[in-house]
Amino acid sequence: MNNSAIRNGLGYATLALMLTALFMVFDYVPPEAEQGIAQLIFYFHVPLAWVAFASFGLVAIAGVFYLWLGDQLWDDLGYAAAETGMVFCTLMIVAGSIWAKPIWGTWWTWDSRLTTTFILWLMYGGYLMLRASADDTPQVARFAAVLGIVAVLDVPIVIASVRLWRTIHPAVLVTKQGGHGLEDPRMVATLLVCLAAFTALWAWLLMLRFTQLRTRSKMGALAMRIAFATAAASDGK
Amino acid sequence: MENLGYLFAAYTIIFAVIFLYVLFIWRRQAALDAELRSLEARMTALTSASPETVAPERSDI
Amino acid sequence: MSGFAAVLRKDLRLELRSGESTLALLALSMLVLVVLVFALDAARVRSVDAAAGALWVAMVFAGMLGANRALLAERANGAIRGLLLSPLDPATLYAAKLAAALIFMAIAEVGAVILMVLFFNLEFDASIARLAPILALGAIGFSALATLLSAITGRTRGGDMLLPILVVPIFVPALIAGVKASAAALAGMPLSSMGDWLKIMIAFDVLFVTAGYLLFEHVVGED
Repeated sequence: MNNSAIRNGLGYATLALMLTALFMVFDYVPPEAEQGIAQLIFYFHVPLAWVAFASFGLVAIAGVFYLWLGDQLWDDLGYAAAETGMVFCTLMIVAGSIWAKPIWGTWWTWDSRLTTTFILWLMYGGYLMLRASADDTPQVARFAAVLGIVAVLDVPIVIASVRLWRTIHPAVLVTKQGGHGLEDPRMVATLLVCLAAFTALWAWLLMLRFTQLRTRSKMGALAMRIAFATAAASDGK
Repeated sequence: MENLGYLFAAYTIIFAVIFLYVLFIWRRQAALDAELRSLEARMTALTSASPETVAPERSDI
Repeated sequence: MSGFAAVLRKDLRLELRSGESTLALLALSMLVLVVLVFALDAARVRSVDAAAGALWVAMVFAGMLGANRALLAERANGAIRGLLLSPLDPATLYAAKLAAALIFMAIAEVGAVILMVLFFNLEFDASIARLAPILALGAIGFSALATLLSAITGRTRGGDMLLPILVVPIFVPALIAGVKASAAALAGMPLSSMGDWLKIMIAFDVLFVTAGYLLFEHVVGED
């Protein structure tokens, strides 16, 4: 199966799953009694978080393989994963903020999940800034790989410390952590479909950007061969 | 139905941003494809004119 | 003498001769504390939380400055090539750099603690002694992380500005734990009551010293 077949397959799967997910959120699942209709944001907010973290893990795994094998393919994968992860992380935070306003009355709160995701967002930002501020050399690819690995190793410690921080001094507002005690099986089903839909969307976007970066890398190599060949040909004359 | 505005805003932003990202990728792709075609053309020209000067492809890129 | 000791001695001797980095570190710590005194209006209220927070802010900024300069000397004259050609392996080089960074950070911390007590109306008593292990753990973690990352940022266009952007988010757990534990220590709590925070800091330190030791070879090299 070649790359465009996978890409297109993922694209159609995403479309189908997303449409199903939307139907389930707006027409099928009953809204939670206390929080009203804004609670429905939860069904996108949680999958966005899962995808953001998963993408980050992929950045690190790609980094490990790049340092180990040296194949540019892994660097391209890591960069693509960082970009798509950043998109989803940003959306997760924005959705979380929009959800927070009607439920908790404030645009932002330092509850453990939002805080941890914000730290993740900062790490993504640092990674992308590193890449933006430097040229596309194997050396920079190595730097990015090391940064990705180091950042991911930190994530469990961040989660633990932020959770401890918030337990000892709980957020001032009484937080209704929606998502636990999903009593209705329809809620669980909807959440799972949304998870699948966003995972498919993530995989599709990742594939798009990844193949694009691969093309760019190969073109770089091709351009270099042409340059050498042109020089060699003119030397020979 | 209070808070409908928030729900609408959240979902709209999510899809708008995703759409913008796809657009970003799309536009880059067009430029890349054009450049690739011109590179491939030059490569074919060089290979047919003086094949001995062309280095083989690398396997790690 | 071992490679580790040689590199460490070189760094320390260089610093001893001019003393400019140490002076800059101490000056920066003091100035950050001064800014926070006015920003938090510490003159009015005796607050261990504000003091602990201010102390760690000063340490992080001073540490960042120190880390930026750590590899500067070698990079400036291309001396890094000499280090790489020597039989010294990158991991040992990392250990030596880490040790040097630690020493400088320790000096900055001592200065910052003294100033903190003075500026925030605290006492020079047993609570300060209890601060020592907490600050030591923090310094180890920060130096381990910053030594590794400054090797990266020093060689990219982002340079000095990029280091804080990379270090701070990753350092957050140690920062949270360090500030909380420090505030508790200053409030008179025994170290046994901060077990969780200390465990987090120890885990952080172990993780990043190991990671730095293993990964340094990938980031060090010629420009």
